[in-house]
Amino acid sequence: MAAERASRERPSLVPRDRSAGNRWGLPDLGIGVGLRTVHFPHILGRRPRVDWFEVLSENFLDTEGRPLRVLDQVAERYPVALHGVSLSIGSTDPLDRDYLRKLKALAARTRARWVSDHLCWTGVLGRNVHDLLPMPYTEEALRHTTARVRAVSDFLERPLVLENPSSYVEFTATTMPEWEFLSRLAEDADCGLLLDVNNVYVSAFNHGFDAEAYVDALPADRVVQFHLAGHTHEGTHIVDTHSDRAAPAVWRLYARACRRTGNVSTLYEWDEDIPDFETVHREAKKAAAYRTSVPGAAASR
Amino acid sequence: MAPPLPLDRLQRWMQAVIVHPGDAASAPRAALARGEAPGARVADLVRPSARLTAAERVGIYHDMYLLRMEEALATDYPALRHLLGERGFLDLVRGYVRAYPSRHFSLNRLGDHLPEYVARDARLKRRAFCHDLARLERALALVFDAPQTPPLGADAVAAVPGERWEGARLVPVAAFALLAFRYPVGAYADSVRDDEGHEHPPLRRADTWAVVYRRDYSVWRQDLSRAGYHVLRELASGRTVGEAVASALRIRARDRPTERGLFRLFRGWMAAGLFQGIEL
Repeated sequence: MAAERASRERPSLVPRDRSAGNRWGLPDLGIGVGLRTVHFPHILGRRPRVDWFEVLSENFLDTEGRPLRVLDQVAERYPVALHGVSLSIGSTDPLDRDYLRKLKALAARTRARWVSDHLCWTGVLGRNVHDLLPMPYTEEALRHTTARVRAVSDFLERPLVLENPSSYVEFTATTMPEWEFLSRLAEDADCGLLLDVNNVYVSAFNHGFDAEAYVDALPADRVVQFHLAGHTHEGTHIVDTHSDRAAPAVWRLYARACRRTGNVSTLYEWDEDIPDFETVHREAKKAAAYRTSVPGAAASR
Repeated sequence: MAPPLPLDRLQRWMQAVIVHPGDAASAPRAALARGEAPGARVADLVRPSARLTAAERVGIYHDMYLLRMEEALATDYPALRHLLGERGFLDLVRGYVRAYPSRHFSLNRLGDHLPEYVARDARLKRRAFCHDLARLERALALVFDAPQTPPLGADAVAAVPGERWEGARLVPVAAFALLAFRYPVGAYADSVRDDEGHEHPPLRRADTWAVVYRRDYSVWRQDLSRAGYHVLRELASGRTVGEAVASALRIRARDRPTERGLFRLFRGWMAAGLFQGIEL
């Protein structure tokens, strides 16, 4: 199913607490798991009962081998959303049109429910350092990123969904908090949000801001998806490693976010020291306890 | 405090910090010296946290960069990494990503130029062996991602009249690479892939040949004789079956295949699915 192109009509800036669904009518897919190579045999062989899968776009854009074959089979049986790491929406380099063409084709091939990436940049001067680098939160950066989000959404013919990053650096040039930048970007560029509550927790520790204030400030009706994951505490800072179970504080933050948004598609990421599929899926399904406690939550599928 | 940098210069400065080949402590200052922020201190650009200085914070990205590149290349070059050891491989990666930084959206393409870089890296011990090993592992990676083309079926082969075979041309599948080596790198790669406690074959000079191909979405390596390599090379270059066979019969006597040997080669290649088409 292709998402309907979002209207350019300027929306209300008042968050709709406990709203059932987002402004585009993108479905609540339930509780999903990130599709990872080590789980391919289990998923194809056992066909586990999973609500949906999130697919790392770049792993499938330049291959016609087994990964794409597996993805085709997964997309036949499960709803899929694409999640990228190389869009580099905040970069001052030109947008990579070849990348966008391939991304659009993959979205059509998999009938992706939506396409997401990160509020970040990954390189300049033609290079890609393959990291999700933080933006300075300035008026200049907001104008720049807004124009690019609009260009990408137009090209993809669907609203781009952007994830809040985890970060370890805060620039002195920054003039507004990340949540304000993200909220204004979402409104000005008319894009969706992927709220990674673990990233909020990680960045809140690293930069010393209030994680709950962050979650409360985002426009709830633009949140299309949640991410959950584990992290690694290094004492001086927290690294977003996706290597463990989510911390209790992250679950509490997720519960708080759910109370604002209603039930929203939720995805568990586990990317380092990946355990067997059932362990990852069990961790993901813990989200059900928070979702079902939401009064009036949408469950359309 | 210096005035804020425009977005483009701030990003160029931060990237220069991240890819700086020295240690994290020297990276911010070295990047400043590159001219993106003349006269500025690191603390003018990055805020300290409650626990880390500005330089330490940006150093986190610097340290993760090389590890990420190393991890990506180790995935594609496991045998080369084994041969060089962790430290040797990391040194190789450090030099390689300076010479060939990623310019592609996918890390899967990072190692595209590693074989040619290895061939030129004068610091490497056993450089010629490393070069052959890198070529083999690159071929495996390329074949893994190559387009899928269905191999010839038995019916298509049986349908060719006997008298037409001599003039027939066989078209290899897209996921196909033919390789000649000066060292037994296939055996070395096998020994790395096997269980712990393996013994590596000698790294002595010895010509070897292999074809790497994909069948049913699995990548295979088949070691070849000199004659087998010779015939496959002729076929892959567009020669007819008759021309390829005649060429094989002209190679030196001790490597020259018998008629029965040639028949076995063709039968094996057909069974392996090396060809996607017959042009008559």
